[in-house]
Amino acid sequence: MSADLTTARHASSDDPRVMLEEEVGVFAPIPPYPPRTEREAEFYSLGDGEMFINMGPQHPSTHGVLRVVLKIEGERVVDLDPVLGYLHRGVEKLCENADYHHTIAYTDPLEYVSALFNEWAPVMAFEKLMDVEVPRRAEYIRVLSGELNRVASHALFMGWMALDLGGLTPILWSFIERDEIVDMLASLTGQRMLFNYFRIGGVNGDLNHEFMSRLGAWMSKATSQIEANQALLNENEIFVRRMRGLGTLDREAAFRLCMTGPNIRASGVPLDMRRAHPYSVYPDLEFDIPTRQEGDCLARYLVRLDEVKQSLRIIDQCLHDMPDGPIMAKLPRLMRPRPGRAYAAVEGPRGQYATYAISDGTDQPFRMRIHDPSFVHLQSVGLLTPGNLVADTMAIMASLDPIMGGVDK
Amino acid sequence: MDRALKRRLEARFGERLLGPIRQRHDETEIRVAPGDVPEVMRALHDEPEFRFEALMDLCGVDTGSVMQTVYHLWSETTPDWLRVVADGLSRDDPRVPSVTFLWKGAEWQEREAYDMFGIAFEGNRDLRRIYMPADYTSFPLRKDFFLPDDAARSPGGGVRHLEQAHAPSNATPGAQVRKAPSS
Amino acid sequence: MALTPDRPHGGAAAESGSQGSTAIEPAAGHDVVVPIVVPNTMWESVDPLAYLGGRADENTHLRQLESSDLLRKDDARWGALDVIPTKADYVLDLIRANSLWPLLSGLACCAIEMMSAATSKNDMDRWGMFPFRASPRQADVLIVAGTLTTKMAGPLIRLWEQMPEPKWCVAMGDCTCSGGRYKRSYSTIQGIDRVMPVDVYVPGCPPRPEGLIYGMMKLQQLVLERRGHWPERAVGPTVPDGI
Repeated sequence: MSADLTTARHASSDDPRVMLEEEVGVFAPIPPYPPRTEREAEFYSLGDGEMFINMGPQHPSTHGVLRVVLKIEGERVVDLDPVLGYLHRGVEKLCENADYHHTIAYTDPLEYVSALFNEWAPVMAFEKLMDVEVPRRAEYIRVLSGELNRVASHALFMGWMALDLGGLTPILWSFIERDEIVDMLASLTGQRMLFNYFRIGGVNGDLNHEFMSRLGAWMSKATSQIEANQALLNENEIFVRRMRGLGTLDREAAFRLCMTGPNIRASGVPLDMRRAHPYSVYPDLEFDIPTRQEGDCLARYLVRLDEVKQSLRIIDQCLHDMPDGPIMAKLPRLMRPRPGRAYAAVEGPRGQYATYAISDGTDQPFRMRIHDPSFVHLQSVGLLTPGNLVADTMAIMASLDPIMGGVDK
Repeated sequence: MDRALKRRLEARFGERLLGPIRQRHDETEIRVAPGDVPEVMRALHDEPEFRFEALMDLCGVDTGSVMQTVYHLWSETTPDWLRVVADGLSRDDPRVPSVTFLWKGAEWQEREAYDMFGIAFEGNRDLRRIYMPADYTSFPLRKDFFLPDDAARSPGGGVRHLEQAHAPSNATPGAQVRKAPSS
Repeated sequence: MALTPDRPHGGAAAESGSQGSTAIEPAAGHDVVVPIVVPNTMWESVDPLAYLGGRADENTHLRQLESSDLLRKDDARWGALDVIPTKADYVLDLIRANSLWPLLSGLACCAIEMMSAATSKNDMDRWGMFPFRASPRQADVLIVAGTLTTKMAGPLIRLWEQMPEPKWCVAMGDCTCSGGRYKRSYSTIQGIDRVMPVDVYVPGCPPRPEGLIYGMMKLQQLVLERRGHWPERAVGPTVPDGI
């Protein structure tokens, strides 16, 4: 064995497994079994001058527990392999064993930053299964709270984007903004984060005085506050130069990568579920779909900022047009939809968030499939990063805005 | 409910469809055999009368008797969702051709279907587990994988867990259940 | 069922100083002397033995614990022969308590509330806890914020072992305290105290930032009083080899 070790040490890195097992032990990022797929074999074989770096599950800028194995040559990334599953909680299986109403509690923490959208899609799918019509006031409240959540989520995105590039101030400003909005939503729903607010057939509680007063106070200064926050970054030369031209996706590539949401809108495709496949009261509301043509990180960042302005417009209209009426449809306590399938998609801050529900006539969903946009978008990191520097990995990942709760379900 | 879409689909794929095209609310559903998936998908993607450019979802379904792979597509030409169900995969060895040649973004969704159900996508360059650890041996979302707890018996079915003073069925053998004092 | 309870001794509050009862005895002559007990006529449990037939259980968990030998009788307070407290130790404990640097180990939703507790509105920097270290070698506290899954358990334990003494662990959120809403899942660890020693449990889903700050203040108390798992820990380097 010693002969093997000496020869392996001095040989070129043909079989990195031998070298690394001896030196590093159990911490080598290479899996301890021979490669089972074509891609694994391609990735886990080192060329000349290449090495692996493991951005482990605990890392300041992986947006949660994501493990990324980087194959680098010097400072350039040659290839990238994300390893998921560190937050897989088995939500789809749990939903199959729970009532229809309980699934809201399970799906809430998926994309925890934009929890209302996680509730919206399942609730819409179940309403389709049960042929329930949601009262108009409830729809307006859903849109109002959803757009507030979108603003909060994009505020956090801005903070994380800057944090991943090294700026420590914008994240504090983002959290100030998020705290205001989230306290507002807490006065409406009772919870700061995992709201548990939407119900099948409506929402849980009506608007109240505290919510309306907080909302009024916030709306009066929202625009100026958001513009102040954005001016901090948009005119920062380091920020702009680092992000411009990085990770460019054109229209065709974006469709092939199954992108939705701001990521594809930054590549020039005006695909927005609120207009492409309208739901709720969005057909009655006036708003634009901001798009950009460049498709790089800066475009993805700017698209989200433009969306915040559109969200404010929508909130304004909701407040003006809010009808009176009930907030919940009349439904039996025990839900037994007839057997069938339903697919419902909403436009979340990250993209299309969809639910595909199959009912078999009992009070538990037979299959509850959650389609999460962050999961799909994270694939692109492996295709956009090669050729860039190691530090750009974070920039690309942050610009795609993944939330690991949704990625891992 | 796009009737025109239904007519176009029947005209183009008539003999390949397993069963009638079903439409409900804003969804149109076609069922095909697993072997037909690549051609049907390519036709739906490329042909100008369909142009289903966007794959919105890819998932597996275990109906208890067969497995299925379900694709949801979106196109600008129709207001409906198109659902393509590749029906009839056997539960012992489910295989279906992969659609990664059309959409690179389907790779991880197929990996997830493999991880959760065991459905092997032929042509996927990277079919390994994505959520569970690499040495995990079960497929969690299959219907023969039971959650190790009473979760499988729902209160809606009349089971009142809090009112049953018995040991849980998965308790370790030495566990003692506290009984009420007999005073 | 009558509305009077079955009291162990009859009569009104004539016998003050009753054995076993710690209730506040009101003055005699009051109408409030006899508490109104509303019997449960709304539902009946399926099993007549469940809930002890309606009585309160005297054999509480705390009494069971005290009668077993799981409790340390001697709580590593500064006993005379164990450790002779010096002023330097006291000052060191003060220093430790006032600059507990957490490790960035936000796993899921609770991480957002942890970040919210660390940022401007609920500022944890007032207690010296702002610097979230990325490296476990530089951190004091491991605030586990978010669901721990079986796949992540290995890396998290490795992180815990890499942290040098003195170190503390805070379980933030329901998922880390007991499994939370994912109690029945096939891939989560139901409570991190199954895999590592926990000093402070902060329940909530997610706990409010003020709740986390309260938990951290409790931790500061523990540090100053040398309670918790602290006395069981060795003095000196404890990081295993090869870590």
